[in-house]
Amino acid sequence: MIKVGIPRALLYYQYYPMWKTFFERLGAEVVVSPLTNKTILNLGVSRAVADTCLPVKILLGHVISLVGKCDCMFIPTVTSLGRKTYNCSKIIGLPNMTRALIPECPLILDPEIDIEKGRYNLYQNIYKLGRYFTSNPFKIKKAVEEAWESNLAYRSEMSGEEITPIQAIDRICQKNCDPDPSLNSSPLLRIAVIGHPYVLYDEYVSHRLISWLQRMEARVFTPEMVSQGALYAAAKRLVGVPHWAFEADIIGAGGYYLEEAKVDGVINVSVFGCGPDSMMVGFVQHRARELEIPFLPLSLDEHSTEGGLVTRLEAFLDMVKRRERICV
Amino acid sequence: MRIGIPHFGNVYIPVKAVACRLGAGANEMIIPPPMTERTLDFGVKYSPQEACLPYKLTLGSLIETCELGADTLIHGRGTGICRLGYYARGQEQMIRDLGYDAHFFTVDVSHHKFRSIVRLLKDLTNGAPWHEVISALFFGISKSFALDKIEKVVQKTRAVEMEKGMANLLYREAIGAIDEAMVRKEVKKVSKEYIDRLNQVPRDPKADPLKVAIIGEIYVVIEPFANMDIEVELGKLGVEVERTMTLSRWIKYNLFLNHLGIREWRKVHKAAKPYLDHSVGGDGWESVGEKVLCARDGYDGIIHLAPFTCMPEIVAQNIMQSTKEDIPVLAVMCDEQQGKQGMLTRLEAFVDLLSFRRKKGMKYGRRI
Repeated sequence: MIKVGIPRALLYYQYYPMWKTFFERLGAEVVVSPLTNKTILNLGVSRAVADTCLPVKILLGHVISLVGKCDCMFIPTVTSLGRKTYNCSKIIGLPNMTRALIPECPLILDPEIDIEKGRYNLYQNIYKLGRYFTSNPFKIKKAVEEAWESNLAYRSEMSGEEITPIQAIDRICQKNCDPDPSLNSSPLLRIAVIGHPYVLYDEYVSHRLISWLQRMEARVFTPEMVSQGALYAAAKRLVGVPHWAFEADIIGAGGYYLEEAKVDGVINVSVFGCGPDSMMVGFVQHRARELEIPFLPLSLDEHSTEGGLVTRLEAFLDMVKRRERICV
Repeated sequence: MRIGIPHFGNVYIPVKAVACRLGAGANEMIIPPPMTERTLDFGVKYSPQEACLPYKLTLGSLIETCELGADTLIHGRGTGICRLGYYARGQEQMIRDLGYDAHFFTVDVSHHKFRSIVRLLKDLTNGAPWHEVISALFFGISKSFALDKIEKVVQKTRAVEMEKGMANLLYREAIGAIDEAMVRKEVKKVSKEYIDRLNQVPRDPKADPLKVAIIGEIYVVIEPFANMDIEVELGKLGVEVERTMTLSRWIKYNLFLNHLGIREWRKVHKAAKPYLDHSVGGDGWESVGEKVLCARDGYDGIIHLAPFTCMPEIVAQNIMQSTKEDIPVLAVMCDEQQGKQGMLTRLEAFVDLLSFRRKKGMKYGRRI
C-alpha cells in the first residue's frame, strides 16, 4: 500500500476531506503530519529565506517531519480556481520551493490545478495523478467523483451548520467532538473573524484565537460559514471581480458580515508579509470605517505571543461592548 | 484635461513624446518632479502598511502630479498573480480620499498590451485618426530605444573611465537632448552623437572590470530612486553592469514580437526548467532562469533586487539558493527603511568577494 503524506498546512484546511477520499478510494494510505509545534516551526524556519511568510515556513517544517514516514508527498500546484483568478505566488511555487529547499524529500506529487487552461487540462492532470496509484481509468473516475462529493459535503456542512473546518474534519474522521459551548449559552457579541484558514485554524499560529474569543462570550463567525455564492457577490460589491482566489473568500466574508449579517465587530487575522492580504484587507477596513463598525487588524508572525494577543482581543471586545451600551 | 503619470525610470520621456505628437500642449502633460524623500513619505503615509515599495513610490508620485493639477492619471493594470493587479484600484481610492478629483485610465500590462495602449490613446485624444495615433506611438517608442541604447554604452563606460563621473554627466545630457528632440531623425542623430562622445571618454587601458548582472523585479531594477542608484555606485567601484530588463526590451517583445510567436523569455525559461517550470507571477520565473544563464555566460556575480515582501521574488530566492550553478548572488530587498551607506558597504564587500574569486581563478570552483 502506497503511503501518501499530506502536510497539515496551507491548503490542508480547505481540501483535506477531498484529498483523503481521493487517495483512499485509489487504495493508498494517507499520512497526515502532526499538529504544528515548535519543533516543526523551527525546522521550517531553518530552511527558508528569512522573508518567506510564516505559513510557508510551517509547511516546510511539516514536510520535513513527514520525511521517512511516507512514500510520496502530496503538494498540489494550485494556480487558478476560476477564470481570471489566480493564487498567491508562494502557493503556485510551493512544490518547486519544497524540492529546492528539502532535497531529502520523497517524490512530490504536484498536479497542476489551473482552471484558466481549461477543463481538458485539469482532467488530464488529475488522471495523471491517479495513474500513479492504479492503471484502471474507471477507478480513477470514481475516486474523483466521490472526492468531489465529499468536498461539497464538507463545504455545505460548514456553511449550513456554521462550524469551523477543524470541527468538520473531526466529524468526518469520526472523532467524537463535544458540542459547541458557544451555541448553548447566549453570547453577547457577534464577532466576525476573517483570515486565511491556514492561519485561523492552525492553533500554533493563531494562539487559539477562536476559542479565546468564545471564552470571552463572543459568537464567532468565520468565512467558511458563508455560502460560496454570497461570498462571491459580497467580494464583487467591494472590489469588483477579485483576482486572488482565496482572498476573494476573505474579503467576501468581510463584506458579507459588514453589510448583511451586521456583526458587532470584525477581526482580521493575517500573517506578516502576506502579499494579497496587505492589499485587500485595506478595502474591508475602508468599508468598515464607512459603516462605522469596529475593525481590528491583527498581524501575526513567528514571534507573536499568546499574552499580547489576548490583551488586544480583550481591549477590542471591551471597546465593542462599551459602544453597544452607548448606542442602546 | 491635464494628464499625469507616475515615475518609472525614463518612461516619462516616451510618454511625453507621444502626448506632444498627439497635440497636447505644454501644460496638458504633467511630468511629476523627480522622486525625492518627499515622494516616498507621501507613499508610505497613504499606502497600506505592508504594501510593496513600487506601490508606495507610484502612489507618492501620483500625489505629486495631483498637486501640480493633474486630473487624468495613467497607470498600469493587470490580472496577474502579484500585487500589481490592485495598484490602480487601491491608489484611486486613496487619491479620491485625499480630495483630488482625478480620473484613472489604466493600461493592461498583463494581457492585451498593444490593444489597451492604442485604445487608451484613442480615448484620450477623442478618437484621433489611426495613422496619427500609431505614428505618435512609434515616435515615443523610438525615443525609448535610443535611451536604452545609450544606457548600454554608459554601463560599459562607467566601469573603465579614467575620470569617474564623465559617463554619468554625458548620460544626463543625452537624456535631456533626447527629451527635446522633435522628430525621429533627430532622435537618431542625437543618440549617435552621444554614443560617439561616450566612446571617446578616456579609458583606463589596464582595466579588466568585473561583470555583474542585475536581475529581479522590474520596477526596482529600472527605477534608480528605488534601488538607490545601484548601477552608478557599482560603476564607481569599477564594475560593469549588465541588465536585461529594460523598457525598450519590454516594448519590443510585449507589443510586437510576442504576437509573432517569438517569446521574450524562451531561453531564460528553458534554463529555469529544472528548478521551476511554470510562472509564479511577476518576474520570479525569469529571475531563476537568469541566474542559471548568468552562471553559464561567465558573469562574476549577480545582484538580485526585489521589493520587501515581493511574493514572486521570494519564491525565486528560495529556489535560487539551492540551484547547482555556482555564482555569488547578493540579494537586496528594497524598502522605505533602506539607507544608502548600508547598501554601499554591502556592495563593497560583495565586489571584494568577486575580485578575490577572480584572482584565485576559481570562477567555477567550489562554493564560497
